[in-house]
Amino acid sequence: MKARPVKKLDPDRSLGENGARIVRARLDEMMSFAPRALEGKTKAQHDMRIAAKRLRYVLELTGFVFGRPADTARRRARDLQDILGEIHDCDVMLPRVRAHAKLLQQRDASAVRARAGNAPDLDPRLAARAPHRTAYRGLDVLAVYLEARRQLLEDRFVDFWRRQEQTGTWARLARAVDAHLERARQARRTAKAAERARRRAEAAERAARRAEAQAERARLEGERAAGASRSLHAPDTSP
Amino acid sequence: MAKAKPIPDLSGERSYAEAAARIVSVRASELFDQAGGVLDTGDIERVHDMRVATRRLRAALEIFEPCFPADAFRAALREVKRLADALGERRDRDVAIATLRGFNDQMPAVDRRGIASLIEELRDEQERANRELAPLVEAQSLRSLRESLDELVATSRSVPA
Repeated sequence: MKARPVKKLDPDRSLGENGARIVRARLDEMMSFAPRALEGKTKAQHDMRIAAKRLRYVLELTGFVFGRPADTARRRARDLQDILGEIHDCDVMLPRVRAHAKLLQQRDASAVRARAGNAPDLDPRLAARAPHRTAYRGLDVLAVYLEARRQLLEDRFVDFWRRQEQTGTWARLARAVDAHLERARQARRTAKAAERARRRAEAAERAARRAEAQAERARLEGERAAGASRSLHAPDTSP
Repeated sequence: MAKAKPIPDLSGERSYAEAAARIVSVRASELFDQAGGVLDTGDIERVHDMRVATRRLRAALEIFEPCFPADAFRAALREVKRLADALGERRDRDVAIATLRGFNDQMPAVDRRGIASLIEELRDEQERANRELAPLVEAQSLRSLRESLDELVATSRSVPA
């Protein structure tokens, strides 16, 4: 099962914020398989196991940022992964055991047929002496064991999941992660507002400096004009 | 199972890219620490420990993918996956054999033959998986993997060019 992509990851932002986005995505992914997995759908149980594993790993690396809810969720994700892993092992082993029993029976059928030679019909006593005849029962017992164990594990899985829902394991993790993301958003908004205010103050300062320079220029021009006027109206003292 | 090494000076405020370089570097070193004796089918914990270390490294790579240049990342991940798959093939047989042996021990002697023949089949697969794993855990292959991972860490976006 391919992991769902996580949006808005940014290497320049904090581990905490990026970690929160990944945890949220992995948690949602795991939760999305729950309805079908609880109905006993093998594929959904398998996908949920992978999703629980991914959630566990990201919590192992970033969980310390989100406190106790993440610590609890990490341990529960591992428990869930274990139960679903054992169910998966049964799902893998059961067809294999049946296939092996079938293979032995096919080999026996060939051997028994060969022993019959050119006989017009098969003597049942030949089948009773088939080379692997004593091997079938152990494999049948193992198949029964695997099937029964799978049922037991599935019951455990359903109980486990209901318990986590009741105790709010996943909801608490979601709240902790969302709160972290909200704080990060708030901090960014505050930083942006501070930046805007700083730019506004700088612009105002520049404008004040420009106005001051303009006033100074006007004052100097006035003084120059007054000086010129004085020299124009001064009495002519030349001989 | 070996416990994951702690990552020194890791904090939530540190940049994602900087954390990526630190974490991948530590997880990679764990992998190479666990590489001894994995082909020994008499001690199945060795292959298990290396597989766990590979899974931790792979998880770290996937979590920090945006922090690495795409080409170097893909190449390193491909190598790690290849090793992880080979270790997984071996480990799956180790576990199945141990489980079936445990089950068979509980069976009356008359019912053990069929399961024993299934164990034999799994033993053959275990040996095949070991043969496929062998070239990947040779010193030279591990050196090459280490170089790829070192290069990846060095090109992380937290490391100035």
